[in-house]
Amino acid sequence: MSNRRRALCIFIYVLPLLVFLFSLYLGPFHIPLRGLFKTLLSPLFPSFKQGLSEGYISIVFGVRLPRLLLAMMVGAALSVSGASLQALFKNPLVNEYILGISSGAAFGAALSIVFLGQHFPRQISAFAFAVAAVLAVLAVAKKSDSPIVSLLLTGVIVSAFFSALLALAEFFASPYALQGLFSWLMGDLSMAGGSELAISFPLMGIGIVGLILLRWRMNVLSMSDEEARSMGVNIGKEKFLVIFLTTLITSAATAVAGIIGWVGLIIPHLIRMMVGVDNRRVIPLSAALGASYLLLADDLARSLASFEVPVGIFTSIIGIPFFIFLLRKSRKIWL
Amino acid sequence: MSVRIKDLTFSYRNFSLHVQNLQFEGAKITAIVGPNGAGKTTLLKCICAILPAPKGSLFIDGRDIIAMPEEERAKLMAYVPQEHTAAFNYTIQDFVLMGRAAYISLFSTPSSADVRIAHEALEYVGLRHYASRPYFQLSSGERRLVLIARALAQKSDILILDEPTSFLDPKHETELLELAKKLAIEKKKTILVTLHNLDMAVKYSDAMVFMKKGGVVAQGKPDDILTETLLENVYEIKMAIIRYDGRKLIVK
Repeated sequence: MSNRRRALCIFIYVLPLLVFLFSLYLGPFHIPLRGLFKTLLSPLFPSFKQGLSEGYISIVFGVRLPRLLLAMMVGAALSVSGASLQALFKNPLVNEYILGISSGAAFGAALSIVFLGQHFPRQISAFAFAVAAVLAVLAVAKKSDSPIVSLLLTGVIVSAFFSALLALAEFFASPYALQGLFSWLMGDLSMAGGSELAISFPLMGIGIVGLILLRWRMNVLSMSDEEARSMGVNIGKEKFLVIFLTTLITSAATAVAGIIGWVGLIIPHLIRMMVGVDNRRVIPLSAALGASYLLLADDLARSLASFEVPVGIFTSIIGIPFFIFLLRKSRKIWL
Repeated sequence: MSVRIKDLTFSYRNFSLHVQNLQFEGAKITAIVGPNGAGKTTLLKCICAILPAPKGSLFIDGRDIIAMPEEERAKLMAYVPQEHTAAFNYTIQDFVLMGRAAYISLFSTPSSADVRIAHEALEYVGLRHYASRPYFQLSSGERRLVLIARALAQKSDILILDEPTSFLDPKHETELLELAKKLAIEKKKTILVTLHNLDMAVKYSDAMVFMKKGGVVAQGKPDDILTETLLENVYEIKMAIIRYDGRKLIVK
């Protein structure tokens, strides 16, 4: 690896920390930098607490920190799952959104919110329907001769199906539930409560760590099934593991943050453009860049207007033109 | 190591393969020949367990191939596909490293010893200096060599090559078969190879297997079994065999 590339990798790994500190500073309530650092370090050094306003502590630890951590976690989760699915399906254009996993999870979570109430953990139902969506996509796509095109098409069809079911759930929702549902569906990091985070954080954490550990195996899984099998890979078992972990983190992320599309597509792509296709680097670097990206997008979402704009709108506005650009660039390869 | 086939039956779609008794000897090159659709590639894929052949029909030194766990099988037997197409453009080194998959646990990454083995494999096929180049930049002849290097990194005794010389010019074809011969002699590899060029098969193989319509028509040393009648039977066209330089040559 060249020195320039190595420096770039280090920069991408440090980036989340920089963006995190910047984002912590950002907000309608102004906290001076000195006060911010003192507040941040006060749990470690109790003496810092002296002369610090109670407001600082409650804003930093009660409002900003959970939200920033959620943004980083969701950004990392979606990027890692995107990179993993791209390797597994041997197709750089696949992601959890295109495969219908996000729509399945969104329907499951909405169903839970509408019929089981806010207090029942929606992750369970989100995961169940995300699994249903994946299985449906795989079952339909398997029957076709051109797996890559049909995979994308089937994903669109399954997404549309779950969107219709989602509309049905919305139809039955009370006006009060509907408003929350609506904002959450567009991808919103401000909606999650403490108990939701307590469930989703460990699930996303397990999935991200698991997929990062599998990073080299992902190279082998990106070979044709015949090649991978002849090199000693138990295809069925390992594919199941990767799909399980990606579905787990996507549904956990969707349950707390709604549908945040296109992150899993553009982040791994940018990484591959910068450092090459070796998943040993692509997967962990995607986690770091994804965390930074969603933090910045969320900064935009909460500071652009005097009210909160769902962050999913920004990721789509940025992501879709990028996707079209990639489609045009790669047309030779797969169409 | 020797590979033995006993009563292998495998069918899919409207094709069925049936091989009664076949043995591939260690440290030798066996060429499998026959017309298109004779079942050569199907046979190879059954032996590699890429296609699900029934248990109790394929053996390596008496051990059932199909019943083995994947990674154990991959340590005994490496498969070189006709071509590799993929969405991701790995560097040659990363590509050859994948041959180590059977030795590296699921949640682990290659060690420096694995990297050394990959470099040795590249060295052996003469492409050590290409390690950091991307795969799709190579010519088709070089790609074949990289695929062989990846199989060598698997450190298996048995090497299975599916039409390794298709689309190659005579020079690269010869070089590739010379490499196969060197592997059989120097590294004592048992090599199974499907070929279309009969002259090359006669020249480079220690044994030949003629296949037709999913079955074996003849097997043995090229010099012993090659006759005009056999060729006409297998290929359904007239061919003549002439002697040149102590070797049998086929004239179509």
